[in-house]
Amino acid sequence: MELLVFVIASGMVLVGAVGVVAMRNPVHSALGLVLTLFGVAVHFVAMEAHFLAAVQVIVYAGAIVVLFLFVIMLLGVDTAEDLSIEPVPIQRPLAVIIGVGTVVLVGTAVIRTRDTIARGPELEASGDSNIRLLARNLFSDQVLAFELTSVLFIVAVAGTVLMTRKQKRVAPDRDRVGS
Amino acid sequence: MIAAIVAQLGEWTAPVIDWHALAPELILVVGINLVLFIDLNIGEARKWAMATLTGFVLLAAFVPVVTLAVIGDASREMFDGRYVVDHYALILKAIFLLVAYVVVLMSQNELEEGGYYQGEFYVLMLCSVLGMVMMASSRDLVSIFVALELLSIPAYMMAAWRKRDVRSNEAGVKYYLLGVFASAVLLYGMSFLYGTTGSTKLVEIGEVLASGDLIAMQVVAIAFVIAGLAFKVSAVPFHSWAPDTYEGAPTPVTAFFSVASKAAGFVALMSLIFLAFPTATGVYQPLIWVLAVLTMTVGNVMALRQTNIVRMLAYSSVSQGGFILMPLAVAGTGDASQSAVRAVIVYLLIYAFMNLGAFAVVIAVSRKTRSGEITSFGGLFGYAPGMAAVMTIFMASLAGIPPLGGWIAKFNVFKTVIDAGSGAAYALAVIAAVNTVIAAAYYMRVLRQVWMMPAPDGDITPLATPAPVTAALGITAIGTLVLGVLPGLVLRFGDLQDLTGALGR
Repeated sequence: MELLVFVIASGMVLVGAVGVVAMRNPVHSALGLVLTLFGVAVHFVAMEAHFLAAVQVIVYAGAIVVLFLFVIMLLGVDTAEDLSIEPVPIQRPLAVIIGVGTVVLVGTAVIRTRDTIARGPELEASGDSNIRLLARNLFSDQVLAFELTSVLFIVAVAGTVLMTRKQKRVAPDRDRVGS
Repeated sequence: MIAAIVAQLGEWTAPVIDWHALAPELILVVGINLVLFIDLNIGEARKWAMATLTGFVLLAAFVPVVTLAVIGDASREMFDGRYVVDHYALILKAIFLLVAYVVVLMSQNELEEGGYYQGEFYVLMLCSVLGMVMMASSRDLVSIFVALELLSIPAYMMAAWRKRDVRSNEAGVKYYLLGVFASAVLLYGMSFLYGTTGSTKLVEIGEVLASGDLIAMQVVAIAFVIAGLAFKVSAVPFHSWAPDTYEGAPTPVTAFFSVASKAAGFVALMSLIFLAFPTATGVYQPLIWVLAVLTMTVGNVMALRQTNIVRMLAYSSVSQGGFILMPLAVAGTGDASQSAVRAVIVYLLIYAFMNLGAFAVVIAVSRKTRSGEITSFGGLFGYAPGMAAVMTIFMASLAGIPPLGGWIAKFNVFKTVIDAGSGAAYALAVIAAVNTVIAAAYYMRVLRQVWMMPAPDGDITPLATPAPVTAALGITAIGTLVLGVLPGLVLRFGDLQDLTGALGR
């Protein structure tokens, strides 16, 4: 049973991931991403990490991908892009070689590591122990990183407003050092 | 439900927080909000005050760094050793705050006269500095990653600050895409590390890695983590973003990237190597050896061919990164482990002074010439002898000529590599020596323009350097000179046992 769930979930993750890259239409790619994220959520459930599974679905599959779709539609790039133009001819074969190489590298590492790795402590299947562990970790050991992450929101808000606003005035002669 | 939650409150113990040790970070957070709030509420005519305010925030954050150093107790640990304020962290925090202060001085007039947004720029810069200050104390994968994002994400936007210039947009997008890719690689490696060692704490990871032979996934993890950070320090072959980003970004931002962002990457690399991977010498040493050799050689050869001063300084900064990597490539061999940390920190400090200074000269001169070509420096000695003199100091120091700071930095690096005493270390020293000579060629080419050539268009009106840029030039020139003449000031860092002692557990 556990193996079956694992195989199905992994299949979802892989098919979705390949879909993100291979699909021509960006909307389809975003939907492929949803499939991947759902597969990861199933993995979390299988590992008794129910809270993470819920967060995965709500935040990633729900909010973030919806945001992606929003942007894709707002920018009007919901049509297939022409990807046949190739500025540097060696790029694509090189990318394939590096991609395959990385897969082989990581795959070999995983296979060789299979038996030597120590098992972590089992999570309690019942109750809210998961959430409690997570909360404890977040609000004691990692509290500083957690709090400073909020500064990232200031950065995101200030930066997004700035990057999308029109330049306030133009002083063409005082442009810069280059050229 | 509520009763159950209340019942659990008893088990909860709040983490102990050392407010004094956290003060620099807290002051920066308050400062970020203050600058943002005041910027919203003042008129366009008084925006210049934001630079002053930012300068004061940085100085205020400097105060606790100094008091902590004066009190001088070996180290203050928080969150179960995940956040450590020791001498190593304090020195680095001081470097970051100083660099940021000089960059504020350099950017004030650029932003005002270019008509760019000012308040928001300083907010983003302070956020970036907060990430760097946090990085100096982080001893945990999670906080290292958060610090890295906190310092990079504002940087992506700062690179694209000249919005109406295509090249600046390109700079921002390139930096963003490659930076995010690097973060992903780093995070992938970190997840392997956590998975195979069961901890995010650097010291615990180090213990697990030391306890037996490395397993295959740990080797892959270390390689990925180092590759991810190599992007941040623009080491070859992960440097491709650097020249375009440096050229397209506003010049003060380029100075900030080439000094502060790079130093932060090195800090992360050092913390990881000395705390988490000290026993994995067989993995990280060859990797960094290759990175160092490629970085200094490719950086130098490319720098030789540049005609634009900013692009030349970009490649020169890539090549200097190779020199800073050198001590790390031998960090686990022989006697080098003790002096490697010191060599890197001293190099970072001196490099900060001389590179910021070189950029300050470029800003000051290009205000008049409106050009970035090296030839535009022709005749500088004729109409601005003072500027020519400081440019000579910075270029000679970057080339490593005694008695300037750059010489001490290079000397330390070579000494560390020789201390290691292995065949690979000697080979590295020879390659670095050849590279030092190559580097001298393109620094001297700038000086030849400054001293020997006539002004390109015969325009010999004197420079009108604004006061903040003059102040930046003064600070950096004095730093470069004093550290060269009195190296004891910084070499004493190494005698503080805790600098390396804290790292060596």
